[in-house]
Amino acid sequence: MEWFIANWSFIAGLAWTHLSISIPPIILGSVIAIVMARVIPTRFVTPTRTILGAIYAIPSLALFVVLPAVLGTKFIGPTNVIIALTIYAITSMYFSARDAFRQVPVATMTTSRALGMNSRQMFVHVELPLAVPGLIAGLRVVAASTISIASIGAVVGVRNLGYLFIDGFQRKIPEEIISGLVAISVIALALDAGLWLLGRAMTPWRNAKVARA
Amino acid sequence: MLDVGALGAWFSDAANWTGRYGLVNLLGEHLWLTFVSIALASLIAVPLGLFIGHTGRGEVFVIGLGSLSRAIPTMGLLFALVLLLGVEFRELSVVLALAVIALPPLIAGAYSGVASIPPSIRDSATAQGMTAWQLVRHVELPLASPSIIGGFRIAFIQVVSTVVLAPLVGLGGLGFGIIQGLALRNFAQVTASSLVIIALTITGELLLGYWQRRAADRLGIPTNLEKP
Repeated sequence: MEWFIANWSFIAGLAWTHLSISIPPIILGSVIAIVMARVIPTRFVTPTRTILGAIYAIPSLALFVVLPAVLGTKFIGPTNVIIALTIYAITSMYFSARDAFRQVPVATMTTSRALGMNSRQMFVHVELPLAVPGLIAGLRVVAASTISIASIGAVVGVRNLGYLFIDGFQRKIPEEIISGLVAISVIALALDAGLWLLGRAMTPWRNAKVARA
Repeated sequence: MLDVGALGAWFSDAANWTGRYGLVNLLGEHLWLTFVSIALASLIAVPLGLFIGHTGRGEVFVIGLGSLSRAIPTMGLLFALVLLLGVEFRELSVVLALAVIALPPLIAGAYSGVASIPPSIRDSATAQGMTAWQLVRHVELPLASPSIIGGFRIAFIQVVSTVVLAPLVGLGGLGFGIIQGLALRNFAQVTASSLVIIALTITGELLLGYWQRRAADRLGIPTNLEKP
């Protein structure tokens, strides 16, 4: 605790880098995954699932340092980390997004068609809102794991909260490592709570029962 | 971009395959650390998961453990445990840390395998006069096997990825080529090592996925391989 207080501003700086490297992949990866879940035809779902499952299994450090060979980026620095985190976010969110869209009842879709909605209206006003709970559940998983994996970026020179692990181990300060663990968990929990609240705000009909009584 | 020539030269140099830090030795060390720690964890996790699924006691614990384990970086856990358990018994501390990382997915796999068995199946087993032990041994364990294997699959992914970081705490494993290569700016070695790691993990993932599907097919139950 003393270490945490004494190094408060240092940790805050690392946390800022940590967030700035995690938030873009969470948003970008989720959007790409949602689009993929919508446009990939059913017959390609099984191969997509196998490929994404295999990519998900790749250890993050290996993915960070293999990207330069494929993309020509620099070995050290945030670029590879952001790209790799986006790829992981896609692999995880794709499955959640597919489930979320499949949970929309067919009868509701047929009804909205019968009411004269076109495909775009059906998607924006019926399908997307009804998929929100599933999408939020998937996003919560993506947010927690992205924040957690981002710390490995410290090995390739990104000064985020993962730096506390490496530095704390080398200097034999357990408090430093534990501060890093706590800071990452707090950020993950805060994001999780934020997404939960967002989900509630976006689906007001789900807590409407109280108002009706 | 990918320097195929340098990569080929690195792979065809026999010196990179043999010796203490040769690929063969590092691969062996990587696999050994992975298997020992998963085996150690499964001794506790599988019976515990089966017990929680069977009795229904401690379900909240399993769910909480699942979300907690996702939010805590395995890297920090590994470093903290090695530092706290002592750097003198480095290998033992790393194995224990890896076993801790393997626990949540193994418990969750065994638990959800038992929890998803329809009550009617368990009731008919009891109605036939099976004892609690027979119910676990002959009904719940076989029916939960695909899910248990699924737990091993996720534990494998988690542990094999964390072993890549073992060189940072003074051990070997295939991550050595990456860590040393980055320090020495030997990028052919970095790329070669990461390709070997990727091949290893994808092979393991596919094998365990195949095993899980086969176990499910044999029981005629649909596999939910969707969520990795």
